[in-house]
Amino acid sequence: MDDNDELAANEQNPSGDTLPAAEAAERAGVSLSTLRRWVALGLFPKHDTSKGWGPSAIAQARSLVKLRERGYSIEQLQEAIDEGRIVGYADELVAEMVGERFTLKEAAKASGLKAEVIEELIAAIGLPAGALEDLGAEDVEMFRHFETAVESGFPRDALLQTVRVYGQAVSKIADAEVRLVHLHVHEPLLRDGVSSERIAEQMDGITEELLPLFSPVIDHLHRRFLNHFVEQDIVGHMESESGGEIGQVRVAIAFADLAGYTQLTEEVGDEEAAGIVERFVANVNQSLPDEARILKTIGDEVMIVSADSASLTDWAVGFQVLSNERPLPRIGIHCGNVVFRDGDYFGREVNLAARVAARAAAGEVLVTWPVVEMAGKHLEFERIGEVQLKGFSHATELFLAGLAGEK
Amino acid sequence: MTAQFESTEQFRAVIDRAMTLMSEDPDMGPKLRDADVPQRYEFDDMDLVVNARAARQGEQGNLYWEWTDDVDWEPKVKLTMSSEVANSYFQGKENVPVAIARRRIKAGGDVKSALALIPITKPVYGLYRSMLESDYPQLVV
Repeated sequence: MDDNDELAANEQNPSGDTLPAAEAAERAGVSLSTLRRWVALGLFPKHDTSKGWGPSAIAQARSLVKLRERGYSIEQLQEAIDEGRIVGYADELVAEMVGERFTLKEAAKASGLKAEVIEELIAAIGLPAGALEDLGAEDVEMFRHFETAVESGFPRDALLQTVRVYGQAVSKIADAEVRLVHLHVHEPLLRDGVSSERIAEQMDGITEELLPLFSPVIDHLHRRFLNHFVEQDIVGHMESESGGEIGQVRVAIAFADLAGYTQLTEEVGDEEAAGIVERFVANVNQSLPDEARILKTIGDEVMIVSADSASLTDWAVGFQVLSNERPLPRIGIHCGNVVFRDGDYFGREVNLAARVAARAAAGEVLVTWPVVEMAGKHLEFERIGEVQLKGFSHATELFLAGLAGEK
Repeated sequence: MTAQFESTEQFRAVIDRAMTLMSEDPDMGPKLRDADVPQRYEFDDMDLVVNARAARQGEQGNLYWEWTDDVDWEPKVKLTMSSEVANSYFQGKENVPVAIARRRIKAGGDVKSALALIPITKPVYGLYRSMLESDYPQLVV
């Protein structure tokens, strides 16, 4: 594209939603001549770049750059495009690519945040370091919000911890959304041998309908969970014992997993075993009392936290009554002061809870003395004895929890 | 807070309404029918038993139930509770595993199926509550 072409492109797009080729090449991280060659080779079948470069065309160019960096030849890329394996979608998500760009220095000046703080922030969010040299107006807006929060008196380190949680949670959400489209839209179309044009059309159609729904749903769920945790916080303030250190919270922690899961995987295969884990996690999630929640899952193991030790123990015993088929769950519960950081719970008591669960057999609920102390009289606790748990210097007294009168 | 039913007849009428809500709900009804888990509920303080199963071909709705043990099918899940717990459960105020541990609900049979029914029946909480607010406000807990 020469100067006249670029002028024509700008005239045809007065709204500024496309860029001239030279700028598009810069945004994509490729030379102008390479970009022109790729167009001539037909690597942008979906895009009419003669009228300027829109966000999805630039996004496609960036994807091609990444694939070239990973060693794919132009011929392989052409083949993949012809087969519909490389299909860009969700134009609105990449719309910012044609907007104003900022270097780190410019972003610092525009937001009022120091460059080194922006660097810390980007690292905490978990974006690649390259993001620092390609910032958009919305990034600058985010830096301004951060600056406002710091100015209002929040400790910077505490804010960075929260931002780290945002980054981890949101990246997980985005990953799940893209996998949803990949597994349930793109892959089936490829398997059915649908033409690349039809794939592009279908992907565009479905994602245009689906993707705009994600943000409002996340927004809504965020508010719902905020409400839930504000309530929990209030209950916690009323019920917490004094004496804990600042930054620590008293919670009951349960670890639950499926006994014999490794053997089960050998017997039924990965797919079926994964389905069993999915149902187990869903059953835990659906049946937990209001004050408890799954903090994380690691394979077939779930970590549950609750402000109410008694109801968590009740749940565990009741859950075992309702689980009468192999593979049976095993559950360990402990209660104590833990450090809350980056949306997670840390410390000796958490490790102890994990070790207690590891000692439980299939169908059992094993607990420590602080849990027994808080439990209701409708439960019975059989003393197992003092057990030397791995990694702990002192033996821990363990109890087997069950319904009263049934042992 | 507890709420008492005025009579066995009132309790039966309210539970009939709850079952109808589940059976006719476009989301819950077909799911319960597909789950195909015959259930027996015993309400010990009322001396009542209701047996429910997926509707068979030609039967109206997605669920079919009878207030007797004299039925031509075998229940898969058996749950025993008081009328107060049942009322509380249908309002989403009774966590099933916790209630089992506290002996408010006794579970028998293929109890794992009971666990699978929990998420399916959750939408009934709001519908049941609305029904109580409109017709039986004294039973709202």
